[in-house]
Amino acid sequence: MAEKQSNGLVKYFLIAISVIFLFLFLVLPLYVVVTEAFKKGAEQYWQAVSDEYTVKAILLTLEATVFAVVINTVFGVFAAWAVTKFRFEGKKVLTTLIDLPVTVSPIIAGLIYVLTFGRQSILYPLLEKYDIKIVFAVPGIVLATIFVTFPFVSRELIPVLESQGTDEEEAAALMGANGSTIFRRVTFPHIKWALLYGVVLCASRAMGEFGAVSVLSGHLRGKTNTLPLHVEILFNEFQYMPAFAVSSILVVMAILLLIIRSIIEHKGKKETEIR
Amino acid sequence: MSEENKSYVELKNINKFYGEYHASNNVSFGIEKGKLVALLGPSGSGKTTILRMIAGLEAPDSGEIIIDGQVVNDIPASKRGIGFVFQNYALFRYMTVYENIAFGLRIQKQSNDKIDARVKELVSLIGLDGLEKRYPSQLSGGQRQRVAFARALAPNPHLLLLDEPFAAIDAKVRKELRSWLKNMIEKLGITSIFVTHDQDEAVEVADEIIITNKGRVEQKGSPIDIYKNPETAFAAQFFGQTFFVENYRDFKTFDSVEGASNAVLRPEFLKLTKKDEPKKYSVTIAKAIVQSVDFRGSNIEVTVKYKNNIFIARRTLDEAPVEVGEEVDIFVYRLLVLDGDKVHLLKNRALDEESVVI
Repeated sequence: MAEKQSNGLVKYFLIAISVIFLFLFLVLPLYVVVTEAFKKGAEQYWQAVSDEYTVKAILLTLEATVFAVVINTVFGVFAAWAVTKFRFEGKKVLTTLIDLPVTVSPIIAGLIYVLTFGRQSILYPLLEKYDIKIVFAVPGIVLATIFVTFPFVSRELIPVLESQGTDEEEAAALMGANGSTIFRRVTFPHIKWALLYGVVLCASRAMGEFGAVSVLSGHLRGKTNTLPLHVEILFNEFQYMPAFAVSSILVVMAILLLIIRSIIEHKGKKETEIR
Repeated sequence: MSEENKSYVELKNINKFYGEYHASNNVSFGIEKGKLVALLGPSGSGKTTILRMIAGLEAPDSGEIIIDGQVVNDIPASKRGIGFVFQNYALFRYMTVYENIAFGLRIQKQSNDKIDARVKELVSLIGLDGLEKRYPSQLSGGQRQRVAFARALAPNPHLLLLDEPFAAIDAKVRKELRSWLKNMIEKLGITSIFVTHDQDEAVEVADEIIITNKGRVEQKGSPIDIYKNPETAFAAQFFGQTFFVENYRDFKTFDSVEGASNAVLRPEFLKLTKKDEPKKYSVTIAKAIVQSVDFRGSNIEVTVKYKNNIFIARRTLDEAPVEVGEEVDIFVYRLLVLDGDKVHLLKNRALDEESVVI
């Protein structure tokens, strides 16, 4: 009996700690963001949000996110497939490299691109000749976002594909199915939910990316400012209310993605329970 | 008539290495059309490698694989027209039973009517009518195996390969499935090769057994043939329940084989009698001590110790019970004497003498 009681105590203690922690570090700041944003009323809020530069920042953020998600989904599927379904030399090196962006600081990722494509680079004359602008331009922002988010899709897929093994693919191949049929009918149904989950993670990370993008953007208002950068500029200019208003857009986007994420998780779980 | 004796599947001097590991060492054998053949060997003996090479899932490093008179080394797996049943079935888990069986036919771009007819035919053949819409996870192990079998058969292959077809099924259902599979393959007349490490399974199901060990083929023949006349020391010891005899000359009245002293015994080569029971061949009897007595359902297994050797003999339930520690007499009818890698079957001469007397 005593043991059961102490177990109950431990349970409530752990729950209390988690709730207090989440409240202090998550709920409270979010509450502050929203109240600060609406401090001067809804009209002022709408003005801040519909400001020309803010709208441009939203569009640029969405653009970078869409690019990053599409490219990383394709890359992630290919990489995960290669790593799990084939035997080759250097496989360990490849899987380690895929994880690199998670461990490298985003600032360094940004600097890498500045050094590769900037004025000091040996590639610069070539880029200039064809009038390609990467650093302090939209392509740089897209590149940085892709770099920072590229492990997310493949990281989700690799364990799923690994647990599936290669038997089903071999069986399909023996019956004469070609690569695309095998992928479409055997592999894809298996990775569907993990893939969607990876895409959501990738998208949310891409939207919030600050470090690498900050280095590459040059902070040209209306041109190379993403939402997080726009928030920083407003904040530095002591425009607190607009800064919080723009932040609230990011918060709403993040909550939307969280809801999508939970739906996907729920559906995926249900389906794997049946199969 | 020579056509009939020609092998349908033939392996010629096949070698396969995995790095340093010699998985197939000069493997050669032939299989006649319509036969059901078991590749039998302990794990790591290279039997699955042989099967996968026939299927085209692995390529041999040297040697030829011939199917129906054609060298298939360079023909990809998908073009060989082979049905393959995987060890854990590898059913497509996101497809229904119906779609699993239809898969191969859809790849061949057959018409929907034809596919439907063939799938229905196979579903009733495997006795799973009404379960077409289920997913593999909603089936029992035995049902899954039947679906895997039907899926492999759907495109009408000329050759069926099965990798440990009964390994993932619990013991009770396994017995039932064995005879089901044997009947089914006999009915269809399809040449089939299956891999197993279970000798009972091989004996029960196969027309012919190929014993593999350390990448080599030890012996090929009918189950009775291998049981009666094992050609190698490995075949003698692997097949059936066997016990090692350190010095077979301890048993008198056996011919002597030059240079050999070890032999192998099977329970059915032994007759165990209690001290007070009448015996036929009192001259050649040896004394042994009972170590344990185990009830096995239809008989009683008695483990006895003779010098440094442990044997098992069987007694019927009608015979007088023996007890642990009791001294009993054992009479050996036959012995398999191991002479290097060769095996000699010796018969107790006392038996001949008696038949002469009678």
